[in-house]
Amino acid sequence: MTTFDSTHVSSPDVHQAGRKKGLKPSDLLFHVVMTVYAMLFFLPLLWMAMSSFKTNGEIFQTPFALPTSWDWSVFATAWADGGIGRYAINSFIVTAVSTIAILGFGSMAAFAFSRMRFRGSGLLLTLFTLGLLLPIQSYFIAQNSLFEYLHLKDTRWALIIPYTAMGLPLAIWLLKAYLDSLPKELFEAARIDGAGDLRIYWSVVLPLVRSGMATVAIFSALAAWNEFLLALLYIQNDELKTIPVGLLAFSTKYITDYHLLFAALTIVTIPMIVIYVLFHRRIAQGLTEGSLK
Amino acid sequence: MKPNRGWTPYLFVLPAFAVFAISILLPVIATFGLSFTRWDGSGPLKFKGFANYIRAFHDSVYVSSYWHVLVYVVATIILEVLAGLLLAGAVSARPGTTFYRVAFFVPVMLPLVVIAVLWSFVLNPDFGLLNAGLDAVGLSSWKRVWLGDPNTALLAISVISGWIFAGFYMAIFYAGFARIPKDIIESARLDGAGEWTIFRRMKVPLVRGITEIAILLCVTGGVQVFDLVFVLTNGGPYNTTEVPTTYLVKTVFRDQEVGYGAALAVILTVVIALIGLLYSRLRRKTADVEF
Repeated sequence: MTTFDSTHVSSPDVHQAGRKKGLKPSDLLFHVVMTVYAMLFFLPLLWMAMSSFKTNGEIFQTPFALPTSWDWSVFATAWADGGIGRYAINSFIVTAVSTIAILGFGSMAAFAFSRMRFRGSGLLLTLFTLGLLLPIQSYFIAQNSLFEYLHLKDTRWALIIPYTAMGLPLAIWLLKAYLDSLPKELFEAARIDGAGDLRIYWSVVLPLVRSGMATVAIFSALAAWNEFLLALLYIQNDELKTIPVGLLAFSTKYITDYHLLFAALTIVTIPMIVIYVLFHRRIAQGLTEGSLK
Repeated sequence: MKPNRGWTPYLFVLPAFAVFAISILLPVIATFGLSFTRWDGSGPLKFKGFANYIRAFHDSVYVSSYWHVLVYVVATIILEVLAGLLLAGAVSARPGTTFYRVAFFVPVMLPLVVIAVLWSFVLNPDFGLLNAGLDAVGLSSWKRVWLGDPNTALLAISVISGWIFAGFYMAIFYAGFARIPKDIIESARLDGAGEWTIFRRMKVPLVRGITEIAILLCVTGGVQVFDLVFVLTNGGPYNTTEVPTTYLVKTVFRDQEVGYGAALAVILTVVIALIGLLYSRLRRKTADVEF
């Protein structure tokens, strides 16, 4: 198990002590190089945002210039007429429902696996662990046929169900590890006080695994928000498309309306970047911890 | 805890298991079953034995898709893992680097499709940022139809992948470096060791376990690459960027060859499992030698 201590992930600069004060030439060089490298990340994003305000002519002829006018209505057009708003709402619903389901179902199962002994628990846990390793290619073809047969395709359930299933193995694995590390006495004390299993789950387990739940929530929510393959295959109805697939549809629909395309891209990236910058410590930790398992 | 708790534990596991079984376990088994059939997705099933597998090994597009993915994986080990390691070394060697760490991680959390669309604009031959930039610095002869040229398409995809994920590996390595006891590094510094020596001789060897996991993650993730390739080239030009997943999706959803596609999926799954297995074997061996 590889878990990173959150206090270290973004620990403030540990080398401050023992270093001479003042900016040395090598420090300056370092910051110049790093800034140039950082520009590789900001230039495309800046270019994208700037181009939203430009005409097609300006985009072609003066790619590096500032726009001549700041017409913010292009964002409204992309959001409302272009359907980006609808895609965002769909993404939100699918992400929220699957994340809540992952947290609820995952913590319940983790509680049972960690604190109860029952027949078949080893086998069930092995199956879930297998789920950590199974690539999406190993099941999506038959899943597609199954969902077609059940008439789930072109409904939000076609995404909510698999996203939940894909998030559960990690949730169970991580939350079980959290619960395993808690002292037995906590649970025994609650039981002596006459608490039933449901009561223990609600008043002991849930509050104690909060930080694990946060990791699971960040990881699952981002995975659901960004998922593309299943969304592409299961949703044809434009009313139900999520952002990744919707943006692709948008880009074929407005194929030559470049500033509108750039506006759409800007709308879906900038808010995410803002959220990330605000909570970067937690998000980076959730993502790395979730991927490393 | 007491055994024999009746049906309560099952009730706690049931919701998770039901969703997981319906949406993953059952389809895994069914995909395996389908791989021995010929099926168009709706008509009657026909049992074909290993015919699909034999066909797959003679399918030159499918076989070459593994070569492409191999090139991509090797490129991304350098552009993602190695670049991430160097970045982590750079930002952990000095104070005041929070800004860089935050900046480099930004692409990791954006949807791959969105980044792919953005980069398809950056690389656009008519108005793209890259060609315009080359014009601006007087390197017009370097201009390419980056994603339409068989010589550059796969490389371009790898570079974009590096642009996205170098920051992710940087975060992992940075966390690893932060766990190295400070006094070890400080005493080396007092002995006059330079930052590069400390990085090369101390930090890198000390995060070896993380490096191994990072490479495994990069390889198994790379073999499954889909979103980027689908949006940027969808396997073109002339199948030069065809990877197993894009070909799989075409086989099943464009050609309606569900049985054959299932066989291709099973092969891909086995390949991924073998990589994981082989890798964990190798790791154990090297660990034995060391201790």
